[in-house]
Amino acid sequence: MKNKIKIFMVFLWAFAGLTACDQFDDNAHTKKVEPVRSVIVLDLQLGDAPTPSEFNVKLINYNERYEINKTMSSDGMLTVDDVIPGIYTITVSAEMNEHGFTYNYSGSVVNTEIIRSGVRQVVKVESSKAGNLVLKEVFYCGSKTPSGGSYFRDQFYEIYNNSETVQNVKGLCIAIINPLTATANLPVWAGEDADKYVYALQIWQVPTDQDYPLNPGESIIIAQMADNHQKPTLNPNSPVNLITAEFETLVRTSSIISDNPAINMTMAFWPSPTPQWLTTVFGGAFVIYFPSQPIVPANYVTPVGSTTKCYKIPISEVVDALELVGNVNQMNLKRMPTVLDAGAATVGGTYNGKSVARKVKETVNGRVILYDTNNSTNDFEVMDTPMIRRYGAKAPSWNTWD
Amino acid sequence: MKNFKYIYWAGVLITTLLTTNVVTAQDAAVKRTSPASIERLKAGSLWMDTYNGAGLVLDNLSYYSDLKFAYGYKNGDYKLNSDGERERAITVSSEGGLKFGGGYIWGSFSYVNEAQRNTLFNTTMLDFDRRMPYYTVDKNLSDFLKQSYNLAMKVASKPLWNKVILGAQAEYRTKVGAKQMDPRSETYVYSINVKPSAVVIMGNHRIGINFEYQNLVQESTTTNSDTQVNQDVFVLRGLGNGYEATVGGLQSLGMFVYKGNQVGGGLQYSYLMDEYRFLLSGNYIYGMEDVISSPSKPKKEGTVKTQEIEAKLVAIKDGDNLQRLELSYADSKLDGIEYVQQLDNTYEVQRWVVLYKSIRSDYKEQIASFKYDFFRGADKNYKWRAGVLAQYKKNDDIYYIPRSTEMVENLFMGINGKYSFGLGKKSNLLVGANFVYKDNLDGHYNYGGAKPDSYIITDFMTPDFEYMTNSYSMFGGDVSYVTSISKNGRTSLFVKAAVDYYKPVDLDSDRIQSTFTLGFTF
Repeated sequence: MKNKIKIFMVFLWAFAGLTACDQFDDNAHTKKVEPVRSVIVLDLQLGDAPTPSEFNVKLINYNERYEINKTMSSDGMLTVDDVIPGIYTITVSAEMNEHGFTYNYSGSVVNTEIIRSGVRQVVKVESSKAGNLVLKEVFYCGSKTPSGGSYFRDQFYEIYNNSETVQNVKGLCIAIINPLTATANLPVWAGEDADKYVYALQIWQVPTDQDYPLNPGESIIIAQMADNHQKPTLNPNSPVNLITAEFETLVRTSSIISDNPAINMTMAFWPSPTPQWLTTVFGGAFVIYFPSQPIVPANYVTPVGSTTKCYKIPISEVVDALELVGNVNQMNLKRMPTVLDAGAATVGGTYNGKSVARKVKETVNGRVILYDTNNSTNDFEVMDTPMIRRYGAKAPSWNTWD
Repeated sequence: MKNFKYIYWAGVLITTLLTTNVVTAQDAAVKRTSPASIERLKAGSLWMDTYNGAGLVLDNLSYYSDLKFAYGYKNGDYKLNSDGERERAITVSSEGGLKFGGGYIWGSFSYVNEAQRNTLFNTTMLDFDRRMPYYTVDKNLSDFLKQSYNLAMKVASKPLWNKVILGAQAEYRTKVGAKQMDPRSETYVYSINVKPSAVVIMGNHRIGINFEYQNLVQESTTTNSDTQVNQDVFVLRGLGNGYEATVGGLQSLGMFVYKGNQVGGGLQYSYLMDEYRFLLSGNYIYGMEDVISSPSKPKKEGTVKTQEIEAKLVAIKDGDNLQRLELSYADSKLDGIEYVQQLDNTYEVQRWVVLYKSIRSDYKEQIASFKYDFFRGADKNYKWRAGVLAQYKKNDDIYYIPRSTEMVENLFMGINGKYSFGLGKKSNLLVGANFVYKDNLDGHYNYGGAKPDSYIITDFMTPDFEYMTNSYSMFGGDVSYVTSISKNGRTSLFVKAAVDYYKPVDLDSDRIQSTFTLGFTF
């Protein structure tokens, strides 16, 4: 009987032990969290640009909503103590005016782990002259109709001449890149130079039939549908009237979609077009660029393991970029290379009738200059009411229907 | 849903077994049963409240069983955010025990259907007993509907060679609940707890040992009825820390799965001396519960490591009257483990990889209790009873980085009594009253996170902390009418009305909870 009791007890212990064993082993010796020390070193690749004396350094832990701001000299090394162990995006930025030019300096390391003390984080910093053409305001999330429905035809993209010289937007392209929405599942691209490109799902181009000059302080509006969206047949609740837009992305007319006064953009690349160029209301990632070669749709590429047709755009040709995400929780789900946009902007929802717009940096002789640090988190702000040609931006002279 | 059918029919079976006079065992002397007699029976038991089922046979308990239908109602604004402004609970329960082949068998079943009106800041959790710090909250006022089934059993063998008793106890619980407004949720919880045990008899000394294993699974999904409007939620990680998330859209918050295992054991020592019986027991539990989101691509939200230790001394004096004294101490510590994870985006892999983990928060609880009850009359149905109680409870929680702390220290003191008024040979009226005063000794809540102005802190954490640190008085009373309904006089019917009224010292709010019960004892 004693043996039976022993067997009984051994069996019970074994049963309980085996079931819980793995889970207990995983965490039995987990230790209390301790802050770590991070060391940041700059790799300056500034070319002919002057070297600023000081850089702003920002460590952002998006999961923790935790941010550390520091400054460091160009020739030194920055030690940051008391960092919560985690995944960080480190951005380095500076700005400098010399010889009449404004230079932007930016560099970043995205989603890097800071979990052990003393590990050096090398941030490559590059310089650029402040961009001439910038995405000024984007209304992407749509609006609500009086009956509570969702309305998405009032999307627009405003491009602004932020420079002091005339810019010609002839042949300028706007593209939305793959993947369409912010996700942790990024596509994998073939080729050793894969990181030298962004990959467009759709590209629209300003016609090349004539020049479209843009004076300093002027902007163009690219509308999904350049109509008065506030008219009764569309959406009286829409925040915008886009009848004066310079361009629209007309695919084909319908009972709702008409060919408006705006100039029709050229559909340069879109393997499977739908009746309208509806970009995702969850926030796409956009680039504007001047292609050095004609766009040939047949020369598409596909990600590894996918049949999605995309078009390669050299990063070197990109004039401006803007990463938009669905909400603040997706800020670290970056699709855009950080050399183009080290941050992201969001209106925080869908169909809420809000837009993102670039902040005003300064006004020089009546000309509004907008922030352009290649970091949308810093450069953009949310606008409760979208507005074309905000801050007194003017329409180009060739827009005779404004 | 299939599970619930099984549980329902198992409950019906147990209820039938426990309430059928046919199975009345050999000890079923014809004596009238009543709620008071069952209360008296349990008060005289040393082993009933231990985790050692084997010891039950040593209490020489007689046959008893009951069947109860209860309707409970709570109303008032002195409450936690997650409680309903009004709550309704319908309960069907049955419990009973009988001698069987020289051993003892005990079982219980209950079904509870709850409706909570206007709850706040709880999107998915069905109960907060296990103090899980990782769960989702939102700020939309909503109703919450819940159902639960509990099955429990204890079994003790007859003493083998008058020396050894083998036994076991087990408990199976399931609960399902649904939040009624967007972001709405469906949550399913199941747990099974098994405790094999043994007792060795050595003269007046009894030494017991038990082991414990528990498995728990909870699945919580959040969705929106109105798919056009995404809903903001906040995933808590302790003391108001956490992260914002969205229900709806492409990056909607995924399902949360909780998987927990718990092992433990206890030792008991009992000594008999004339009219006195003593029991000293100690118990230790060690557990781990993982919280995983988006099971299709699992990401760890956190893990809770639990360690609980408790000790209890029970002394009973039999004789003309029954006296019972309980002293107990319980200490529990929960470690909140969090993870640093990165998505391995390799095409063939695509999974979250844990790079680092650490204990980010700790939750400590200490409870020391004293309880004394006096039952006048040696008969099964006491004439009157009186009791006093005192309980010291301290919760001391910390979130290490960014540093947040919460401490609540309370002392509960209570007095209660019941008197049985005879109403002829067959009936009696049992009238009870109780009073509890909660004295808040100390408390603080310091949030050091990134968003002190967030609604999570101002509208949720802070009001709940104020609730927990408010002293209150609780006045309660109950009246039961009990009458014999069987020919042999053993079976009784009773109706009971009970009311508790809570009045905090520093707040204008209050809360009242009442229960109406129709029951049978056999």
